[in-house]
Amino acid sequence: MNMISDPNGELMPPRIRPFRAWIIASLVVLFAFENSGCSTARPPTEILSRAEMELRAASEARADEFAPMDLQSAREKFERSKKAMAAKRYEDARRLAESAQVEAELATAKAEAELTRRAADDLRIRLDTLRAETERGPIPASSPASGKE
Amino acid sequence: MKLTVFFGRRTVNAALLLMAFLSIGCGVVQNPALERARDAYNRARQDREIAGRAGVALDKARLTLEQAERVWAEEKDVTEVEHLAYVAEKRIEIARATARRRLAADDIQQLNPQRE
Repeated sequence: MNMISDPNGELMPPRIRPFRAWIIASLVVLFAFENSGCSTARPPTEILSRAEMELRAASEARADEFAPMDLQSAREKFERSKKAMAAKRYEDARRLAESAQVEAELATAKAEAELTRRAADDLRIRLDTLRAETERGPIPASSPASGKE
Repeated sequence: MKLTVFFGRRTVNAALLLMAFLSIGCGVVQNPALERARDAYNRARQDREIAGRAGVALDKARLTLEQAERVWAEEKDVTEVEHLAYVAEKRIEIARATARRRLAADDIQQLNPQRE
């Protein structure tokens, strides 16, 4: 076999350099192509449906009542995301859907916090009333609560 | 092999200066939205109510924040970083709300035995 020696004195086949250069060049081109493919992105259908699910959960958690601004903003972004999707602006659609999803989650969290707080306050008021009544004396009607005095 | 043999001392000095300037610049450039999200996260993490009652929600915020920091460090994609910083801030708010809900639930738990 016809061999040449490189500056380090190692023997190499004569055609390996151009071949290697071609491989590197094609890898670079492939990498660049793939990267550009990633940035143009695919339709974010999964994220959009997740956002829709969170919006539904927020409505069920009564976010309309307890976190109306967050829910409104989430709904607006969801609609804008659908429009961006239709216009094939997939990156915009993805960001809007992600924002809609997290805002809907926030609306749910706020509504649940408010509902639980109200339940705690109601319970406290009921207990205070009960305590006041028992301190005032037994109620003439039958009382299931144990008279603790 | 000396670079100055090929390019001349002035060119090499200018190139080195430019490289130093660029590397310093890369380290210093900050994104206001990312800074804001990071501050909000650090404040939430130091809040014992939030860290104690909404650890999982706070962890989600941390993951988004780390993603934003990675995108900023590697790509300097302002739009994406601002988006991720916004999501991270919303996740911190979710952690706050979760902590409030758990606190109220604990109140109910503590009040309940008094009924019996």
